[in-house]
Amino acid sequence: MVSRWMYISLVILYCFLLGPFIIIFMASFGANATMAFPPQGFTLDWFANVFETSQFIDSFWVSLQLALQSTMVSLIMGMPVAYALTRFQFAASGLVETVFSAPILVPGLVIGFAMLNFFVLLGDMHVMTGLFIGHTAILFPYSVRVISASLRNLDPYVEDAAVSLGANRLRGFLLVVLPNMQAGIAAAFVLGFITSFNNVPVSLFLSGPGVTTLPVSMLSYLEYYFDPTIAAVSTLLVIFTVLLVQTAERLLGLSQFV
Amino acid sequence: MLVSPAFIFVLVFFVLPLIFLLSQSVLPEDGGFTLSGYVDFFQSRVSRIVYLRTLKLGLIVTGICLAMAYPAAFVLARMPARRRSFLMSLVILPLMTNAVARTFAWLIILGRRGMVNQTLLSLDLVENPVRFIFTETAIVLGLTQLFLPLMVLPLVSAMENIPDDVLEAARSLGANRLTTFLRIVVPLSSDGLVLGATLVFTGSVTAFVTPAILGGSRLLLMSTLLRQKAVILFDQHAAAVVAVVMILTTLAVNLLLRLGRVRQA
Repeated sequence: MVSRWMYISLVILYCFLLGPFIIIFMASFGANATMAFPPQGFTLDWFANVFETSQFIDSFWVSLQLALQSTMVSLIMGMPVAYALTRFQFAASGLVETVFSAPILVPGLVIGFAMLNFFVLLGDMHVMTGLFIGHTAILFPYSVRVISASLRNLDPYVEDAAVSLGANRLRGFLLVVLPNMQAGIAAAFVLGFITSFNNVPVSLFLSGPGVTTLPVSMLSYLEYYFDPTIAAVSTLLVIFTVLLVQTAERLLGLSQFV
Repeated sequence: MLVSPAFIFVLVFFVLPLIFLLSQSVLPEDGGFTLSGYVDFFQSRVSRIVYLRTLKLGLIVTGICLAMAYPAAFVLARMPARRRSFLMSLVILPLMTNAVARTFAWLIILGRRGMVNQTLLSLDLVENPVRFIFTETAIVLGLTQLFLPLMVLPLVSAMENIPDDVLEAARSLGANRLTTFLRIVVPLSSDGLVLGATLVFTGSVTAFVTPAILGGSRLLLMSTLLRQKAVILFDQHAAAVVAVVMILTTLAVNLLLRLGRVRQA
């Protein structure tokens, strides 16, 4: 059934998906100051430039802090939602599911724009708080979905057994359900972290003077400079992501949840 | 009770801002309720061109993704599990890297002294570098690279579920390869196809980074138009209209395709 031209299409697909990464790698080590191809010579200057540019370093810490905080909060608040949706039948469950999947249906740029206008209406709000709210809201669909999936894999009788043996619901959840969900929670964490860490559209409007996320500061750097520094940042980010995803995949089998 | 903290959060910080956005689009700062913002949007030549261009490029990107992903997904779905899971992780990898990094590569490929131009010049096919950046072609290439994984993933998981026996049965009953593919594989993987097409199309018509880098202010799409109205022209009323049109467009596509899927089932 699988014919030769199908294999050719597979090769084309992978060239298209991964080719740009190879080009970025090459450009980040090339010595030309403008983006000529193929790059001449070899230098690590662009990497040095990344670490000397405070814009990148500051925004990296903003992104890291933001991704950790919003992922944690969306998980802690999303977990009970996933639990309620998988364990109980209730009248409003359809509505609840719609509300929690809504942030994925609305374009990110629109979310950021609407939130900015709303926050201005509310009065002075710290830029970091605004970013945190925006990122937490867009992470709910992922947290709820991944944790629901891992809850569905767990036999509800195990929990019922704990309850019938005298544990109350909360104890049953903390001592029986939670330990069995470790892999799902960790997968949701990695997925949420990466989603927040890479987000541009929501952060774009919510960023403020001095407080910017890394992808947004990369974008604004590109408006003024056209040199391989961005290639070097990208290379570092790809390495960072591969390490993160590979570790997660080895430990938890991340791809079954995506 | 369990749902309430998160529910209140989403209600206050997500639903309320959207309601406020909607009200901004029909209530200009000076005056009462009016739909003039929407009338202006669809009467203005510029915004009409931008809207149609956005939809057109979305359709083209979806078509190209479909054509590239479909046969490849079939090969992936028929592979031994170990090799497939390795190859699938390579499909997921680009999804995990930010859009700025991935779009930047196209500047190197398509730039004035980029890969394509150097090749054309050295082969004497052109005398002067060709301008590729700030063209629709560049945006289409960038968006296709960005959203291709979203087409591959649902297609592969739909095709995995087609049993080998069904294909062999079709072959042994006399169907040739093409007939088997069109009459067995395509209908049985239509769920993945619809999901992939929805994801790619809605992603393409709302993406910001790619049109911002590869289209700039010369070749606006809806997302870059929204940004321009809000940040450069300071016209929050008009920006709100653009934002609402974007929401309605993605909702309409989602509803349409969902309806189509229900009817088929």
